[in-house]
Amino acid sequence: MNARTFDRRGFLKSSAACGAFAMGPAALRPGVERKTKRVVLVAFAGGVRTKETLGTPLNVPNLMRIAQEGVTYARARTANLGHFGATMSLLTGIAEARGIRDNTRGEDPTLFEYVRKDLGLGAADVWVSTSGGAQQANYAYSLHRDYGAAYGANTVDGDGIFNAEFRSIVDAYGRPRTFEPRESELLETMRGVIGAGVSGKALNTPKSFAQIEQYLLQELTSGTSDLRGTGASDAKALRIARNLLAVFRPTLLGVTLQDADIAHSNFNGYVEVVRRNDEKLGELWDAIKADPELAESTAIFVVPEFGRDSDLNSRRGLDHGDGSDDLRLVSAVCWGPDFRRGVEVLEEVRTIDVCSSICHVLGADARYAAGRRLPKLLA
Amino acid sequence: MAHRVPSTARCPAAGGFFVAGTSQASAPVDAHRLRSIYLDLVGRPPFRSERDRWLAADFRDLVDELIASDAFWSNWLDEQLYYFLLVDNFRPTTDSIVSMPSDLRSRKVGVREALHRIALSSAFERRNPGPDTYVTVVMEQLLGATVQKRPRELEIGKRIYDGARGNFLGQTGSSQADIVRFAIEDRQALRHFLGREYERLLRSEPTTRDLSGWVRALEDDRLAYASLVRGWILSPAYGERLASTRSISNRAFVRMLFVDLTDALPDAGDERRLQIALDGLADAGPLRSVIARLLIDSGKVALPERDAIADPTQWVRELFERFLGRSPSEEELTTFVSAFHDPACKPATVVYAIVSHPEYQTW
Repeated sequence: MNARTFDRRGFLKSSAACGAFAMGPAALRPGVERKTKRVVLVAFAGGVRTKETLGTPLNVPNLMRIAQEGVTYARARTANLGHFGATMSLLTGIAEARGIRDNTRGEDPTLFEYVRKDLGLGAADVWVSTSGGAQQANYAYSLHRDYGAAYGANTVDGDGIFNAEFRSIVDAYGRPRTFEPRESELLETMRGVIGAGVSGKALNTPKSFAQIEQYLLQELTSGTSDLRGTGASDAKALRIARNLLAVFRPTLLGVTLQDADIAHSNFNGYVEVVRRNDEKLGELWDAIKADPELAESTAIFVVPEFGRDSDLNSRRGLDHGDGSDDLRLVSAVCWGPDFRRGVEVLEEVRTIDVCSSICHVLGADARYAAGRRLPKLLA
Repeated sequence: MAHRVPSTARCPAAGGFFVAGTSQASAPVDAHRLRSIYLDLVGRPPFRSERDRWLAADFRDLVDELIASDAFWSNWLDEQLYYFLLVDNFRPTTDSIVSMPSDLRSRKVGVREALHRIALSSAFERRNPGPDTYVTVVMEQLLGATVQKRPRELEIGKRIYDGARGNFLGQTGSSQADIVRFAIEDRQALRHFLGREYERLLRSEPTTRDLSGWVRALEDDRLAYASLVRGWILSPAYGERLASTRSISNRAFVRMLFVDLTDALPDAGDERRLQIALDGLADAGPLRSVIARLLIDSGKVALPERDAIADPTQWVRELFERFLGRSPSEEELTTFVSAFHDPACKPATVVYAIVSHPEYQTW
C-alpha cells in the first residue's frame, strides 16, 4: 500500500507535484457489500486555506490523524461563489452562482434529498448542523419539483438555539407540563380535524416532529449552551453533530461551519478558529470511533468550500477574491470503513465531487449533480 | 402625531394603478382581512382593542391609519434589515437607524435615504467584510444584479473599496461610501427595491409597466412610498393576495403568538432570541410548538377556567376567528366541542391544538 506519512514538508512537497500516485483500482464492484451505513460531511467552511490546515499540521492534529487513516485530495478545485453559494455547491454537486446574502432555497436537489428519497429515509435520519444562522437553514432542501421539503434534512443552528440567552427564556417560562395520554389523544383529534387534516408536504412526520421537540427540550438544558468565545458557533455545530449522532444515529449528517471568515480582519483569530474546529472535529471523530456500531459503519468527509487569498490585505487579514490557487484549491479528507487508508491523491478533483461520492457510498443517485465520484477513494 | 397618507388622487405620477383600487376599498373589514392587513403592514395581528374597533369598519380608513403609524415603519425597517441579514449581532444600533421609523413616519426621510443609511452603517460593513464580499453584496442586494455576469464592474468596485479611483455604475469614485452612493442613486436600485416590496406585500410580481411607473413616482417624490403601498393594498391585486396562503416568517410567528395569547408583544430581547432560534431550523415547527407550550404553561396566558366557559361552542368559534381569521367548519366545531366536554381536556389543550397546527403558521 502506498500510504504516505503526513507532515508539513511532505504535504507541501507532494502538493506541488500534480499527479496521482495512489494505488490500485478503486471502483466499488457490483455485489460488494459496503460497510458504510452513515456519512458525516463536515463543510470546514468560512474560507480555509490548506496552508493553515494540512500545510501546518500543528494547527490541525486531529485532521492529520483522520488523513493518516483515510484518503486526502490535495487539489480539490472550488468555485468562488461566496460562502453561501460555494457551500451549497458542496451539497448539490453543482457550482451555480448564488447571492452572498440570498436567503432562499436553491433549485438543485441536495445530497440530503437524494439520500432520503432513494433510501426511503425519514426526516430524523438526515440532519444538518449549521453555524451560520437563518441563511444556512436553506441547505436543508431545494425547490426542485421532484424533491423538496418532503425529502429534506432537519437543520439545527446551534448558536441560534443553544445559547445562554435562549436558555434563560426557557428558565423564565419553565418547562412545559407533560400531557396525560388521554389529553394527548384529544389534542391529536382536534389537530387532525383542522382544515380537514390537510397539512401539506411537511419535512417532518408527526412522529419525527415529536422526537425533535423532545430532543430540543433536552439539548436546551445540556452544556452546549455554555460554549462561548471565538469560533463558538462552529464549536456548537460540531458539538451538536456529536449529540445528533448519539441520539438519532442519522444516515447522513452535514455540518456547515463558517467562523473562519473572521480572517478578513483578524488572521490570528482565523487560525484560532481553525484550531478550535480541529479540536471539536477530533471529539466528533473520537466519539464515532468509540462507538462500536458507528466505528464500523460511519464515513466522514471534511472539505472547505474554498480557501483564501495568497497575501494579507491592508488590515492584515485574508480576503477571498484573488483567484489564486490558495483560494481555488483546497484539501478534502475522507475516512471510512470502505475507504483506502493513508492515501494522498494528487490528481485534481472538484469540491462538487463530494456530493456524488457520498450519494454513491450510501447507495443513492445524485442524478442532477454535475460532479463525478472522487477517484481512488474506495478500497 | 401621525401624518395622513396622501390619497390616491394626489399621486398622479404613479399612473393609473390606483384607480383600480376601489373593489378592495369598498369591502368591509372581516376577521380574515383584519388579521391579514395587520400582519402584512405591521407584522403582528391586531390587539383585542383594535379588533373590536376595526371589525366591519371601513377598510380604507384602517389602511390609512396603519400606514401612518410608527408600527408600520418599524416593521418596514425590520423587514429591510432582515433582507440584508443585519440581524442578531449585526443589527445596527446607531441613532440614525434607531430613529429611522420615526424619521420615515414624520417624512424627514424617504425610503431611498433610509436604504442609504442602512448600507452605510458599520453593521453592514461588519456583516460584509472585505472588498469582494462588500461590493458583491452591494451589487446583489441593492441592485439585484448577478455579479458573476458583471465581473469587470466587481473588480473596479473592489479597487474603489480599497481607495483607488475608478468608474463604477457610471460614476467616478474612490471610497466605500462612493460605492454605496452610486448603487443607491442608480435607477435599478429603486426598481429592485419596489419589485421586492411589491412581492413581499402582494405576493406576486409587478408588471414591467407598473414597476416603471412606481420608479418614476418615487423619483419625482422621494416620500411617495407610503402612497404607493396604499395603492397596492387598495388594488384588486390585494384581493388575490388575500386568497393566497404562505408560511409565516419566524419573526411574525413570535409576535403573532404573543399577541394572540397575551394581547401584548413580546419583550424586544425575547422576540429577537426566539426568532434567531427559530431561524436556525429548516423545519421550525417543532420549536414553534415548544415555544407555544412554554408560553401556554407559563401562567402568563390568561385562559379562562373550564367552568367559567358557559358556552363552549361560542368560545371555540371565537378562538378560530381570533387565531385563524376564519369561522370553524361544522366538523371542526363539533369535534372541538366534543373534545372540550371530555374531563381530560383543558382550555389550554384546545388553545394549544390551534396554535400548534400548521394552519396557524400560515397567513
